[in-house]
Amino acid sequence: MSSLIERVGVLGYLVTSAPQRWIGRTALMKFCYFLQELRGAQLGYNFSLYSYGPFDSAVLSDLGDGEAFGVLKEDIVPYPSGFGYKISCVLEPEQLAEVGGDLLERCRADVDWIIEEFGSRSAADLELASTLVYADREALAAEEQISAAELARRVQEVKPRFNNAYILRQAESLKRKDLLLAVA
Amino acid sequence: MLNDWEKAIISEFPFQRLRRIRQLAWTDQVYPGAMHTRFEHSLGVMHTATLMYDAIKERSRQTLETELAYNSDGLGRDRQLVRLAALLHDVGHGPFSHAAEELLPNFNGGEGKYRHEQYSAAIVRSLFRDVIENHPSNANYGFKADDVASLLEGSSKAKQALFWRDLIDGQMDADRMDYLLRDSHHIGVQYGRFDLHRIIQTIEAIRIEDDGSLRIGISEGGAHAAEALVLARYFMFTQVYFHKTRVAYDVHLRGALKELLPGGVFPKPVPLGLSDYLRWEDWRVLGLLTDGKGGEHGQRLASRSHFRCIYHTPETSTLADMEELKRVKNNLGSLLAAEESASKSWYKTGTPDIRVFTESKGPLPLSKLSNVVANLKANNQVLVYVRPEYADDARKKTKRGNEKNE
Repeated sequence: MSSLIERVGVLGYLVTSAPQRWIGRTALMKFCYFLQELRGAQLGYNFSLYSYGPFDSAVLSDLGDGEAFGVLKEDIVPYPSGFGYKISCVLEPEQLAEVGGDLLERCRADVDWIIEEFGSRSAADLELASTLVYADREALAAEEQISAAELARRVQEVKPRFNNAYILRQAESLKRKDLLLAVA
Repeated sequence: MLNDWEKAIISEFPFQRLRRIRQLAWTDQVYPGAMHTRFEHSLGVMHTATLMYDAIKERSRQTLETELAYNSDGLGRDRQLVRLAALLHDVGHGPFSHAAEELLPNFNGGEGKYRHEQYSAAIVRSLFRDVIENHPSNANYGFKADDVASLLEGSSKAKQALFWRDLIDGQMDADRMDYLLRDSHHIGVQYGRFDLHRIIQTIEAIRIEDDGSLRIGISEGGAHAAEALVLARYFMFTQVYFHKTRVAYDVHLRGALKELLPGGVFPKPVPLGLSDYLRWEDWRVLGLLTDGKGGEHGQRLASRSHFRCIYHTPETSTLADMEELKRVKNNLGSLLAAEESASKSWYKTGTPDIRVFTESKGPLPLSKLSNVVANLKANNQVLVYVRPEYADDARKKTKRGNEKNE
């Protein structure tokens, strides 16, 4: 079982690898989801779906512990439509490697892949992409094979604010990268 | 008020079983009044969730209609759905509530464990299907048991109703609000009290700044009530849920259950395992303990000779504190009987994520408005236990200068 301190090290590396070297809470949550679901990282989280995408409060709990340990720092900063969170890493790379230990070593390449694939996406896009993956995995668990259009339809029922054509484009993009397992 | 449908659901065996599952496990060893059960808590959660639903519907109707495509019929339908889900949210609990959660099996062969919510969803699908789908009242709704289960477990099959999941399992949910007030009342403390009515008066649907999603939050007038809720969680955690003696009894209960359960874990939440799982409740465990079962931990439960906490890290521990903990554990050697971390507690306070809508600045995290919440740090305390007969010796070993010889 991954230890708390090592997990915090992985979160620190995730944050520090982001293009701006900081991320918001949505990005943190969804990157952790992708790390587990798309890359098989053994972080021990148990995500379930909310209208805002896959979520596990244990990620926020680890964030709080990360702050207590002096690894992560969270500030409140202005966003275009209000104020939100900015999570950054306080440690230097060598210190982070020590904190993250074996877990970070195992996950490092996976984190790099997540950042390359999703690092520049907006929080709204991350929310949508992660929901598509979640719904895809539900279909897989039910031994269904569905079309991208059907997946998009299911996700739109959860997120009516997104345009169906947009959801479908996102689904097809994920499909092209072989990230959807139940979509034919 | 309960309708006939809800009364029928309550009469079913898996719901009545909640009368035999204590809300706070063995907390009565510290606070003798802690004898209330999941049964009345579940009724309370349904009641509170309904108050929240009605308030949001009234205050954010237009938002619900434009963002989630609700109409009057849809809102009426989902009100009943939320009531059923809130009522049934805890049917999946094991004996003595969260104390047994670590003995749930691993999820999908990975590291994470099943949670009781997943058991609740499975039980709803299997054992409440008939009373949900075939009750005469369902003619007005057309619910499937899967509708309720999907909302409980967090599935895309819940569709737009997934928005309401936060009322049952979220940052400011009815579950938390009920148990804080109920637990305070029964054990006779004031720590868990906050102004529920003010929160109900100010609750609404808010579009947050980060990803633009719609969440349940409060208007600015309720910010201090939300602050009080956060503090209530903090105080109840430190004074009740993570009380060193209460936690010791969780250790013993887990240890005893490991001896009592076949393979040391509960059955999985699959149809064939559920009837076995539901046979596990407090009365059965207490009967087995009375018969002398449960090994050393069972005996300690029966005789109130619990492990003693002889060392703890600060409530907010740094990496340096964790290094010191390693030294202490090394010194204790084989005397170390148990180690419990606040970070692993089901009741852990975590980092609040409550949004407040202000007229002047739009949506804000509560910590932007509240100095108290902004400065409240996560509790990641670790408690270290030894057997009572070694407590004095162990305390000496925790002191610096008493390092174990290599």
